[in-house]
Amino acid sequence: MKREKRIKIYVAMVLIIMPIFLSGCWDSHELNKLSIVSGLGWDIDPDTGEVTLTYQSIIPSEIKSSSSSYGGGEPKGGSPLRTIKLDQDTGSSPYDVLSRYAQHASRIPFYQHTQVYVFGKEGVQRGIYPFLDTQARNPVSRPNALMVVSAEKKASDILEIQDGLENIQAFGMAAVIKLSATFSKYPAVTVLQFQNRLLSKTTAPIAPMVGIFEETGPEGEKSRKIRVIGTAVFKGDRMIGQLNERESSGLLWAINKIKIGFVMIPEASLEIVTAKSKIVPELQGDQVKITIEIDEESNLVEYKGHQDMNSDIVQELEKGQAKEIESQVRAAVDKSFALDADVFGLGDAVHRKYKKEWKDLKPKWDDIYPRIEVVVKVKTHLNEIGDVNKALIKD
Amino acid sequence: MFRLLSKKMRRWRTSSSDNQTQAKQNGSIRYLSKNLDGNLHILREELGQSSDVIIRDMKISSNSNVDAAVIYIDGLVDRNLVNHDILQPLMFNLQVIKDNINQKHSSLIDFIKSSVLTVGQISGTEDIDKVISNVLKGQTAILLEGVTQALLIDTKGWETRNIEEPTNEVSIRGPKDSFTETLRTNTALLRRKIRDPRLTFQSLQIGERSKTDVAVAYIKGITPDHLISEINQRLKRIDTDAILDVGYIEQFIEDSPASLFPTVGITQRPDVLAAKILEGRAAILVDGSPMALTMPFLFIEGFQNPDDYYARPFFASAIRWLRLLGFILSIYLPGIFVSLTAFHPELFPTQLLVSVAAAREGLPFPVAIEALLMLSLFEILREAGLRMPRSLGQAVSIVGALVIGQAAVSAGLVGAPMVIVVAATAIASFLVVPYADAGALLRFAMTIVAGFLGLFGMVIIQLEILSYLAALRSLGVPYLSPVAPLNIRGLKDTLIRAPLWAMDSRPASLESPDMRRQSPGQMPRVPKAKPSKREGQ
Repeated sequence: MKREKRIKIYVAMVLIIMPIFLSGCWDSHELNKLSIVSGLGWDIDPDTGEVTLTYQSIIPSEIKSSSSSYGGGEPKGGSPLRTIKLDQDTGSSPYDVLSRYAQHASRIPFYQHTQVYVFGKEGVQRGIYPFLDTQARNPVSRPNALMVVSAEKKASDILEIQDGLENIQAFGMAAVIKLSATFSKYPAVTVLQFQNRLLSKTTAPIAPMVGIFEETGPEGEKSRKIRVIGTAVFKGDRMIGQLNERESSGLLWAINKIKIGFVMIPEASLEIVTAKSKIVPELQGDQVKITIEIDEESNLVEYKGHQDMNSDIVQELEKGQAKEIESQVRAAVDKSFALDADVFGLGDAVHRKYKKEWKDLKPKWDDIYPRIEVVVKVKTHLNEIGDVNKALIKD
Repeated sequence: MFRLLSKKMRRWRTSSSDNQTQAKQNGSIRYLSKNLDGNLHILREELGQSSDVIIRDMKISSNSNVDAAVIYIDGLVDRNLVNHDILQPLMFNLQVIKDNINQKHSSLIDFIKSSVLTVGQISGTEDIDKVISNVLKGQTAILLEGVTQALLIDTKGWETRNIEEPTNEVSIRGPKDSFTETLRTNTALLRRKIRDPRLTFQSLQIGERSKTDVAVAYIKGITPDHLISEINQRLKRIDTDAILDVGYIEQFIEDSPASLFPTVGITQRPDVLAAKILEGRAAILVDGSPMALTMPFLFIEGFQNPDDYYARPFFASAIRWLRLLGFILSIYLPGIFVSLTAFHPELFPTQLLVSVAAAREGLPFPVAIEALLMLSLFEILREAGLRMPRSLGQAVSIVGALVIGQAAVSAGLVGAPMVIVVAATAIASFLVVPYADAGALLRFAMTIVAGFLGLFGMVIIQLEILSYLAALRSLGVPYLSPVAPLNIRGLKDTLIRAPLWAMDSRPASLESPDMRRQSPGQMPRVPKAKPSKREGQ
């Protein structure tokens, strides 16, 4: 009996001590010894392949002082980069760059909260494999950060522009991109989604492109702002082309990424209420036929005509809308075939539906793909015509 | 490890008490002699030369030839009662009564007892020690020359506090009386709530010098017998100088002296005590203490509050959750904050991280030190506010609010988020008062561990605490029941407070011999509509 109790005590002790040797994240890093990297710019030299990293880090003390002096107005003569600071290093590989960081930095970079990875246009055309590799290997990076392609030469061009309501530029940029995706203009692509598209072999990765535009204020002062201007299309790790605004929308319609937004037709503007789409492949021998089925419901928010509403006009609007959506999708389809990049994931759709046949199709896919016949079917429904039935001014 | 320690302590405790009880039984009973002067001499010697001991010599009977003495302690007796109903009849009435009283003294005392004294409770004794102990309780003794018997008259009547509103356990809808320092008052308060003849108060005296009256209260047939005998056994084992408060008893009889969490419940409300007894618990009341102990005490009782039962069940259930949340926050919040800032900044939402980082900019101490500093400061303030003379209270609150709240932040010693965390923790810790002490200690432990190991360390400590709580027992009942071991029907009064009409039986974990509390199916219903109306539909 006594011996049993002693054994029990020993077991309890072992159980108490054992968890201490379990693995876990228990390195202590005081918050004021870290430099929080809000955005990271990647530039790859097209000739040498040298990597340049641009760190956009937060300056906490600036945030503290700016938040405590609300209503102080614009800081006159202050630098536009008040809450962030940019550091740049160049090296032969990403980790070569990182090792150089320690030569001039006072704090350890902290990547877990990095919101955007910005790629210089020159670099993406050469390929971003070094990024994809370190990203996949390293546990500190988070796969929910956004991928952004700079329409300018360098990533740092984009990262240094301070504008908007957010006091940290990268957070603002992420918000801009997410909002453009919410309004179904351009896709927002996380690192994870990019990787998933890469893994599928046939699908082409995409990422939004951000450019700079200059704005002239009411007093003639000029300010530079960022704006999403297109969708970059990749093949592997290399960017091979881009979709414009209309084609980007068409892409989103086809891949079921429409959330809210507007459809503009000559007579009216319509607000999307719900939208669903499906890519339905059909295999006929070596011939693949793809039907993109889109189901849309919308409300009328703007009408340019002066007639009273009636069911004929509603039907007309529905038809016009369907035509507009179809033409957007068609534009995207044409562009994707022109680029020879499967941005819609048509290959995956065929793979999902015809699992057995895919084995035979896979080696021949590069031949089959250009011959695919794409049919776009759009069904639209106008839910509400607004609070007025009659035109305010009749002609 | 703790269990081993407590076992050793218990062994040591029982062996020492055995020695003392043996020593005590050596004395033999001393009887009163026929000689009054001799008796008074002994009493004077025993009671000392205390100024509050009054020994009134006098001559009684019609021929004024019988010596007598009245002995009482000034302050403990009702002076009016002694003067009007003892001294006056003895000295005046007896002389007036011209009856042939037999000169035999022994029958004189019977005559006095039966026909002279106009007070309620009179007893006689021949034991001199009994005379002393009863005089010390507030009784008045009458000794006669030539009689070996003393009369003991209950004349207790000292200044007592009135029944006041409970100060520690405030209730909005419930009764507003609370226990006082007088045992009789307290038992009466309980008796008024439960008029069951089976409500029993078992009395005993504990304390070699204080001779404190202790009462075990229970309802026969509801509280299991083995609990009562176990409590009695534990009480009888106590051998100490004095019981000055119910807390003395608590520490002598609790199950796990090494436990941070209390295994004996404490209340100052008669209604709460009545409810606990009706659930099948036993209570211990101590003279001189305005608190009562209840046993067995389960973990979940700390989260129960009288208002839960007096108010309707919905809000009461929500408040239960709130209390649990407060309890959890009060233990973990500083630790979580320390872990997140020092170990896992990636767990902060991004915007929060930026604000926290901004607030932590330029602070001199590591976050763990900062947290411990602020927690200690709060405990200092709390203790100072509690112990300090009341007139100084304002000074402390002003200094405390300024020092902790503003000055520390603006001086750049601590960050503003830490002040918020500590303040929130401090408030939350008072949601569950019974565990405020244990919570404070655990809070420090959690913060220290978080400073070394982060969340990982906190999880380890948490596991140890949970397994310790699961092993804990109060009077043999598992501390975490009815949650562990799980009793589905018992859950009606845990995180939700079921409507009263749904709680048909007493808590199963207490194993009461009479489980039935009320007849089932008493849910109020809308009266059935008249059949004639229904046909119309």
